[in-house]
Amino acid sequence: MKLRNTVLAVLSISAVMALASCGGQSGDTANPSQNGSSASSFDSSRPITVVSREDGSGTRGAFIELFGIEEESADGSTADLTTEEAIIANRTDVMLTNVSGDEYAIGYVSLASLNSSVKALDIDGAEATAENIKNGSYKVSRPFNIVTKDGLSDAAQDFINFIMSKEGQEVCAEECVPVDDSAAPFAGTNPSGKIVVAGSSSVSPLMEKLKEAYLAVNPSAEIEIQTNDSTSGVNGTIEGTCDIGMASRALKDSEASQLTGTTIALDGIAVIVNSENPAEAMTSDNVKDIFTGTITAWDEIA
Amino acid sequence: MHAVFFIAAIASIVAVFLICLFLFVNGIPAIGKIGIFDFLLGTKWAPSNNPPSFGIFPMILGSIYVTAGAIVIGVPIGILTSVFMAKYCPRRIYKVLKPATELLAGIPSVVYGFFGLVVIVPVIRSLAGGTGSSILAASILLGIMILPTIIGVSESAIRSVPESYYEGSLALGATHERTIFRVMLPAARSGIMAGIVLGIGRAIGETMAVIMVAGNQARMPAGLLKGIRTLTANIVIEMGYAADLHREALIATGVVLFIFILIINVTFSLLKRKEKN
Repeated sequence: MKLRNTVLAVLSISAVMALASCGGQSGDTANPSQNGSSASSFDSSRPITVVSREDGSGTRGAFIELFGIEEESADGSTADLTTEEAIIANRTDVMLTNVSGDEYAIGYVSLASLNSSVKALDIDGAEATAENIKNGSYKVSRPFNIVTKDGLSDAAQDFINFIMSKEGQEVCAEECVPVDDSAAPFAGTNPSGKIVVAGSSSVSPLMEKLKEAYLAVNPSAEIEIQTNDSTSGVNGTIEGTCDIGMASRALKDSEASQLTGTTIALDGIAVIVNSENPAEAMTSDNVKDIFTGTITAWDEIA
Repeated sequence: MHAVFFIAAIASIVAVFLICLFLFVNGIPAIGKIGIFDFLLGTKWAPSNNPPSFGIFPMILGSIYVTAGAIVIGVPIGILTSVFMAKYCPRRIYKVLKPATELLAGIPSVVYGFFGLVVIVPVIRSLAGGTGSSILAASILLGIMILPTIIGVSESAIRSVPESYYEGSLALGATHERTIFRVMLPAARSGIMAGIVLGIGRAIGETMAVIMVAGNQARMPAGLLKGIRTLTANIVIEMGYAADLHREALIATGVVLFIFILIINVTFSLLKRKEKN
């Protein structure tokens, strides 16, 4: 009986202490974040947390190519020089969480996926906007492709016609950069049927908008968008599990022989940092040096 | 009626057989193409390079390091908890403690991962510097995740030691503590070892939670506070985009993982058999 009472007392005391320490901890974590909102707490001598995407990702492929992080030697061999220290995020949203959660982080996302939780840097003096991608001053851009197999259903063909029409390209213009400014207006045949679209998580936000706009024109169609990645989208199209595949990279030779690819829009890649980071702009050489590990601290940036 | 039971019984065997078949048919040719030594002992993983490198030695070490870390953290806590539950705990606390440890086993790993990402990683970042996504973070998280396995198996092993051992030891003048640590625990040793081996199995196979806290750099381990990529993480992270030989190399990574798990399971059954004898 005595032991039981002692144990009970110890347990209740520890419970109270646990509650109190929880309270203390939440207070503690609240304070640094308040300090963090003033730019003065940013310690530029701290190392840069480089966040990259996984090998094979369309975004990574485009990023290393555009910034010259991929080195090509005379014999045609290429090497990805991304620093080994880089944290690997395997999805766009993981990338955004990593960068918005670490003041000293730098990463990159598709312009279409950029949101206000992080800050996009100006590259070589040009802001990451659709305008600048179109006029060529923001150079970090890549194509968004859709792939299809022969024997497309009427509904899917009509949807693709819509994407490449004036209306569809206007939707693209809201999200990223359209490929055809002078496309003809859409003349649909309103076929009914189900269209399955699958693929790159970089393309799918745009595809969602296109779906909405298309369904407003043709309510009898049904569109299902599955978000995974470029290769799954392409393979799904080859195997016939989806009608249209989305890819944020160029097709590989083994894929191009079986499918038809169409570029529906251009996308910029935004170099992103934490909102607390005072940096606003960077040269492409800086970005390359950071991602190859030549520059490791924020105050080393010239 | 017997046929129905038989079909049910062979369903799981067929599943295991098909998985083995899939793994080996797809994985072994890739290992052959890459070269078994280049694959297992190569220290460079760069599948997009031309020519690509498919060395999974960093990931093998990563899995071993993270699992070892989880053992260092999880085993002492787990064994002491099971001793407490079997030999010290008053009934009323036991009624709370037992379901609580079982609940720990039921939490989905992605929830553990999220907990690690928002609690463990920032704490390590602010206390020790660096990025926080590290071997240490993954070890702590996995140490917590393997607790229910170790506690459950160890507790039943301690409980299955005959009461006469305990009474005999007390009769010889040993104290309660001395009896537990010198008599009961050694007697339950093989059962506790089986619990630890099961814990290792869980730690090495864990994927989702580890991806979120380990940093996932495909390089040789560089320190406790640096990131690492495990075998499981390597497969999940890159499978989405992989094509051709890269894809086969990932399946081959699965073969290596499968062999690891096979070794662990054989060890577990050997320990179990020893315990029965």
